[in-house]
Amino acid sequence: MRSPNIAGGTYSLMIWTPIRPGAEDALRAHLEGLDRRSSPLATLPRTHMARWLIVPDMPVPPRTHLRDPLGNQYLLFTSNFDGDVDSYLHELVELMGEAAAIWSHCIGCPRPAEGAALKAYLHRNQVDSGFAFAAYGNASVAQIKTALDKRARLIDLVVRAQEMAPAERRTAFLKQFGSA
Amino acid sequence: MKLPAVLPDAPPSNVSGRTTSITLFTTQKWWGRFFMPFMFATSRAFPKALAAMDGLSFISFASWSLIRELPYNGPPQQVRRLRFAHLFFEVSFNGSWTQYIDSSVRVLTTGMYSFWSSSRSFPGPLPAAPFQAFFKDHEVDTSHYYCAYPEATVTTVRSALALEERLDMFAHRAENIPAAAFDAAWQAFLEHAQVHL
Repeated sequence: MRSPNIAGGTYSLMIWTPIRPGAEDALRAHLEGLDRRSSPLATLPRTHMARWLIVPDMPVPPRTHLRDPLGNQYLLFTSNFDGDVDSYLHELVELMGEAAAIWSHCIGCPRPAEGAALKAYLHRNQVDSGFAFAAYGNASVAQIKTALDKRARLIDLVVRAQEMAPAERRTAFLKQFGSA
Repeated sequence: MKLPAVLPDAPPSNVSGRTTSITLFTTQKWWGRFFMPFMFATSRAFPKALAAMDGLSFISFASWSLIRELPYNGPPQQVRRLRFAHLFFEVSFNGSWTQYIDSSVRVLTTGMYSFWSSSRSFPGPLPAAPFQAFFKDHEVDTSHYYCAYPEATVTTVRSALALEERLDMFAHRAENIPAAAFDAAWQAFLEHAQVHL
């Protein structure tokens, strides 16, 4: 039976870290202020999808009194990425400069928030998934980006080729895709 | 099932290009503590049972987890023993929030019972409106959401991956096709490839 965190070639990571009391608003402002078109997560080339959110408390089912206080607000980080978790966390702490600025708002985060100590902290706060689904099987981020790029170039060529002479079409195709 | 681009019915922080995220927590009934691990194990052992989800063609990634306790990091983190188990669910999909719920409940009706019936306040998947309210009541908004290929839909990615193999094969062959015969080969290639364009 496969690992609960693995779907196809991707790993589903979930990390819960308690936010220092009083630092919740600053962390929320920091996360919401990150550039969405140039996300720091883009520095991790194996990441398909990822998110940070602040969980103030577990939502209470409406018309019930079933409060279940967490005691602290939590930073939840989840990511779907290619490969194994150990090397991914290594890349996260080494390549993503934003990691220190984010997790330093959390209880138990090492100071300075970097390197092996930060990686161990994140690992320690990982919670396993129960079941994960991925739509692209074993395709990696790099493979998907390459395939999307080729598809876009082919569509462009198909449109342009309608105006070309036959000999021109062959030259244009080989120029784009020869020895692909 | 092809869907149009994302309509603006989710907060911007939950959206990256054409991909939208939902994150949800629901409180479990007493038996969910036992039933959901069984459901997860069954789903992992028989992934083909989720073929319907695969067939939806707008869900790229999803995961479920049962939260019963959280790692302890020392003070000032409060030591809490959760009274209930909580189901965590996250999904990335193309299309609008409303489209996602409506399409999911109509196609995955049985699966919805399997995954949500142990959640308190679950109204059943149909009609869709109470189920939408159930999602809204239990959703937590994302503060920062990232997608590596934000403008691509699930259908586009799958098409691109399927096309690439054909394209590489044709490109390899094309180098040896005489100029006079290229046009016929090009047309034949396009005929087969057009479904992916």
